[in-house]
Amino acid sequence: MVDVYLVGVGGQGIITASKIIGDAALLAGEKVILSETHGMAQRGGSVVCTARIGDRAGPLIPDKAADVILSLELLETLRAECKASKVTVVLSSTERIVPLSVSTQKMRYPSQQEVVDKMSSVARSVTMVDAAGLAGQAGARMSSNIVMVGVLAGSGATGLGRDRFEEAVKANIRRNVDENLRAFALGFDQGKRAKA
Amino acid sequence: MSGILEAEPGDTVLLMGNEAIVRGALEARLSVATTYPGTPASEIGDTLAKVAEKAGIYFEYSTNEKVATEVAIGAAASGLRAMVSMKHVGVNVASDPLMTFAYTGTRGGFVLVTADDPSCHSSQNEQDNRFYALFGGFPLFEPASPQECYDMIKKAFDVSEELGQPVILRTTTRVAHVRGPVTVGEISIGPKKKEFVKEPARFVTVPAVARARHLVLLEQLSKAERMADESEFNTIIRIGDGGRQGIVTSSAPANYTIDAAKDMGLHVDILKLGFSNPVPSRKMLDFLRTHDKVVIVEELEPVLETQVRSLAQREGLGTKVLGKMDGYMPRAYEYDQAIVTHGLARAFSKDLNEAGKCEPPHDLPTRPPVLCAGCPHSATYYAVNKATNKKALFATDIGCYTLGVAPPYSTADLLVCMGSSVGTAGGLAKVNDLPVIAFIGDSTFFHSGIPGLVNAVHQGHKFLVMILDNRTTAMTGHQPHPGSARDPCNPGAISVSIEEVVKGCGVKWLKVVDPYDTSAMIEAVKDALTQDSVSVVIARRECALIAKRDEKGAILKKHYIDQEACKKCRTCVTKFQCPAISSIDKLQTIDEVLCAGCGVCAQVCPYKAIKEAP
Ligand SMILES: Cc1ncc(C[n+]2csc(CCOP(=O)(O)OP(=O)(O)O)c2C)c(N)n1
Ligand code: SF4
Repeated sequence: MVDVYLVGVGGQGIITASKIIGDAALLAGEKVILSETHGMAQRGGSVVCTARIGDRAGPLIPDKAADVILSLELLETLRAECKASKVTVVLSSTERIVPLSVSTQKMRYPSQQEVVDKMSSVARSVTMVDAAGLAGQAGARMSSNIVMVGVLAGSGATGLGRDRFEEAVKANIRRNVDENLRAFALGFDQGKRAKA
Repeated sequence: MSGILEAEPGDTVLLMGNEAIVRGALEARLSVATTYPGTPASEIGDTLAKVAEKAGIYFEYSTNEKVATEVAIGAAASGLRAMVSMKHVGVNVASDPLMTFAYTGTRGGFVLVTADDPSCHSSQNEQDNRFYALFGGFPLFEPASPQECYDMIKKAFDVSEELGQPVILRTTTRVAHVRGPVTVGEISIGPKKKEFVKEPARFVTVPAVARARHLVLLEQLSKAERMADESEFNTIIRIGDGGRQGIVTSSAPANYTIDAAKDMGLHVDILKLGFSNPVPSRKMLDFLRTHDKVVIVEELEPVLETQVRSLAQREGLGTKVLGKMDGYMPRAYEYDQAIVTHGLARAFSKDLNEAGKCEPPHDLPTRPPVLCAGCPHSATYYAVNKATNKKALFATDIGCYTLGVAPPYSTADLLVCMGSSVGTAGGLAKVNDLPVIAFIGDSTFFHSGIPGLVNAVHQGHKFLVMILDNRTTAMTGHQPHPGSARDPCNPGAISVSIEEVVKGCGVKWLKVVDPYDTSAMIEAVKDALTQDSVSVVIARRECALIAKRDEKGAILKKHYIDQEACKKCRTCVTKFQCPAISSIDKLQTIDEVLCAGCGVCAQVCPYKAIKEAP
């Protein structure tokens, strides 16, 4: 059983990322269940998705029970702290989407080092990836989410094969398939760095 | 992966609960489907909108839930299968026709899908709609997974037709918005036409008919109870060796209960109810007789618990029943595995491992949802605050514009339900001296704002109604409404003019203003507030997410902040709110990609430092 806790910001494609993980699991003949909490989040709020691979009935991941935290945004990585334990692999994009509260309530956006330090103290490993940069390099600027799915696949944390993920990417992405597969591949190579 | 229609019989596909409901209905000889959007039910309608024509069924986004229900009743009373879907509070709006439709009964299968929202993820309350099943006398299905959504909607149509009674299928957010594998069967669509056979002694509920039909309803309900007793959806799941300890549960909590019982290493029998009203009393009594202690695990209200306790009392059973009435389980908010584990540990006197607890970090910058860059509502609120100096009372309504409750606008003082702004404004205006403004979206205006406006005209109430007309139902995913220019499900749909409706209601002072023109809007609001009858401003500008953009991504023209001209007054973030404008370390900037090019911030800046990008 593998529990993947996905976090990000509305509009980053986190639901698509979770669907790809779900389809990859299904293709591998695994049981899988996904959930999404978006509420009013299309309007730029925090979004949480879960992907539970294996024999689980409930879709939600209890505290300290995520095997993987897959994050598309730096601040949201920090917000996921409660789901981490000493077995959790944290895979995070370094992308920052500065929320309005930083401007209006004069709150401080944490530095990348602070995120790494905090998450390292609670998790097994933390891997930071310049997902936006890699997406640009792949010619799919909007596909940081696909890069991060690649990172997850490359980390080996789900136990699902690369081909399953690639097939699932193709099934969920209609436009610029080649660019997205390249984004996936660039992420995959980064994922190998992760201590999973 | 494959679309709702493309999956072949025997295929296992990943479907959201809402999609599984649609697929199931399309295999159950569905002919007519209606809805009014609302989270977490919206994807039912949105999926139907995509496939209806190809599948060969009739689907419409109706004006509100009551009308949606009535259209479906017309089809079902004629003998075709009909489905109407809505969020939980939508059933309040639809409850009038529903309560009496239970008396007439139905010829074609009729299923009402209600999607409840424990924890109010995107709702104004967390009411438990299982009560409607008890209240009106509806057989009730409660799926716990996408596969069950698919299986139960099919069964619900059969049960409805067999009994001649409307049936409710109730999901919750953690069922409707969960994706899981669903093995599908063959699509089978119902006929398009069926002649209504007149039978006024059944379908025209004058008092004499209603009295007679009430007895029919009660008789059908006792048949329904026997069906529930036999139902394959009411099953016992044994965890460990089972034994004399039992749990009764349904819907999403059943999932948490199974996971919790396994992880805790309990030996327990779980009676999981999928066909939960009428309560299968024979099965329930068997369960109570064969177990010494039974815990009821259900979200929100003690609906099952009340019935289980009363059954035990009626039969004089000594079984110990535990639940929320004695404080073992909470009565508010959605459950999760930790909550269920906690309750079960106490009920079964097990040690609780608190190591899994965690306090979420609270010192992080928050990220609440905000109005989009270029949102016309944002411009309107800026102008209203300018015009009133914030010295007004704001009756608001439900939609994206409710986000105006937050600073810097704070343009929301009273909100109870859709359409309430116009009615509550009347009451506010009667007893207050401050000027009163009602904000209502275009979809909400058609949904339930019109009777309030007629009342205001008739009673001579004095306040301003601002109809925030962004040409769509934005909050729930941009569904069409009666005023929309296009309806993807109905190419021949006629757009109903809001102006004509307002005039037809008898409103004497009406102005249509583009919110992007802030000085015109400020003037209009000031002028409207001097009128001595109800006045209406229609703030008309397309939602920024569907507005046409130029090749640079601008609705009008992208803007930037000229740092030399900027006097660091921060008006652009303290009086106005736009996700594209940030103010960090005294530096105000506009994110070029996020900027929608509405040009409103340039009108907000007192020093003309915000300029059109080259
Ligand atoms: C009775 C009821 N039905 C449905 C909903 C869900 N809902 C919330 S806002 C909204 C519509 C908003 O559309 P509109 O008034 O045009 O405002 P916009 O979001 O476009 O600004 C709906 C359908 C609800 N809250 N209550
Ligand atoms: S979706 Fe449209 S109406 Fe809603 S906040 Fe965004 S621009 Fe405004």
